[in-house]
Amino acid sequence: MARRSSLPVTFIVPTLAILLVLSMVPTLYAIVIALQNRELSSTAYSYVWFSNFYDLFFDRRFLNAVWVSVKWEIVTVAATMAVAIGLGVLMFEVASPRLRNIYCLLFIIPVLLPRVSAAFVWKFAYHPLYGIATYPYRLLTGGLIFDPLSKPATALFAVASVDVWQWGLFFAVIVLKLLETLPPQPIEAARLDHAKRWQIHAYVTLPMLKAPLISLMFVKMIESLRSFDLIYVMTRGGPGVATETLDMYAFSQGFIESGKVSYASAMAVLMMIATVITFTMLWKRVQA
Amino acid sequence: MRPGRLIGKTVLALAGFMAVFPLLWTALNSLKNNVDIITRVPRLVFTPTLANISYIIGRDSVMIGLYNSVIACGVAVLIGVVLGLPAAYSVARYPNRWAGDIQFFVLSLRFLPPVAVAIPLMVIWLQLGLYDTLAALIVTYSLLTISVIMWLAIPAFQAVPKEVEEAAFVDGYGAYSVFWRIALPVAARSLTGAVAFSFVLVWNEFLIALMLSSSNAKTLPIVASELSQQGMNVPWGILNASVVLLSLPPLLFLGVLSGFLNSVFRQKKT
Repeated sequence: MARRSSLPVTFIVPTLAILLVLSMVPTLYAIVIALQNRELSSTAYSYVWFSNFYDLFFDRRFLNAVWVSVKWEIVTVAATMAVAIGLGVLMFEVASPRLRNIYCLLFIIPVLLPRVSAAFVWKFAYHPLYGIATYPYRLLTGGLIFDPLSKPATALFAVASVDVWQWGLFFAVIVLKLLETLPPQPIEAARLDHAKRWQIHAYVTLPMLKAPLISLMFVKMIESLRSFDLIYVMTRGGPGVATETLDMYAFSQGFIESGKVSYASAMAVLMMIATVITFTMLWKRVQA
Repeated sequence: MRPGRLIGKTVLALAGFMAVFPLLWTALNSLKNNVDIITRVPRLVFTPTLANISYIIGRDSVMIGLYNSVIACGVAVLIGVVLGLPAAYSVARYPNRWAGDIQFFVLSLRFLPPVAVAIPLMVIWLQLGLYDTLAALIVTYSLLTISVIMWLAIPAFQAVPKEVEEAAFVDGYGAYSVFWRIALPVAARSLTGAVAFSFVLVWNEFLIALMLSSSNAKTLPIVASELSQQGMNVPWGILNASVVLLSLPPLLFLGVLSGFLNSVFRQKKT
């Protein structure tokens, strides 16, 4: 296909130029703002260099937000992968082709919903008095009240369950499709050796899918960074700071509580550096 | 093996139920009067009402939000198609030594935390006098749509059999008409999926819209989330109706997207 043509240049240069401008201008500007002391309430500002970053390290709420974000990543990624592999293998084992198609359609629905919608749906469902998800508890305990979203111990998990509801079910479909692409011979061979069903998956099929499963996990790690919508609608970071992730804290510092735009931007810049470094390293690993 | 299969089927059926029931319940609640929602025991039998839905449709703020969402997402997706598809084709068919880097750059845009982009953009749009306009939102969303469409369209173009394109060259087609008349139509199904995906992504976007709009350019997700901030004083039925309205457009693409998923994995098999 090495034909001489202007096509590669005319097709890619404008697009790349626009992408570069659209991404680099905000990123660089985020760093500039982080070095200043801008506030929403006034237009005056000056350069304070690294003092925002310095302050962050002594901000207990920031350190809490880092910890909440790390917890959120671990919980949602692990639970999503567990649900996806569990249901994917189950569909592969017990569902007929027609049933598989139906399940695949059903399992894609939650992930298509706007996060705001998903958050509302479950916020209602978790309502302690009138919620449909808490109804079985009321029924079994004779009307005791369980309010998962307002208890610090359960709030994060309650919100994370919505994320897993959206992504775990969707990834189950992908795991099934991956299993379907495998050649049948190794599975047959294992079956002839009297391997049990779970052994076949644990020792044959899942190891064969190691690379795509790791890529899948990588995608989920990136998507888990976008927790803001769920948390904003369901708990606003509460109760207290139990579900306050970094983006939630940055948002409330910058726009709700104090309007410290530069302080919020410093946080966002730290987040950006951490994610870009982590994911670049992971990506090179995955590709290698 | 028998009882194992039965348990497996039950678990699956339960998961399928869990996948759609919360949404169906919300849709049902949108047809209820408040007395039928605020009950300790969930009510399945009730006299349905269209009051919630007509209230939602009759509200100016909701209609403006809907209009803003449609325009912002529609135009951003259009820009994504016009700029993203040709670029993806070029990477797929005319690989150079930067092809890997370009792909990584496009993917890495997805690593950027939305807050980190939204804060500086807010300041920039304020200074340009474009804050709270659809134009600002469209430009910002274009970054999303172009990169996502490009990322998904590269493999779609690579899956087009090279022989078809070679044959067209032999027939005297130029590089541009091969793209236009051969590659685009052949890859059309996967490309539709990629475009639909990018639409769902920006339609569902919340944080950037929240930070870049204050009154005029609010998109539907923002309007919906604001309804709830008036506390539980707003009848739940109305909130449920707004959730249903917000969720319908992405669900329209369910067929296209599941077809897209199938075609992606069929390619892998061969």
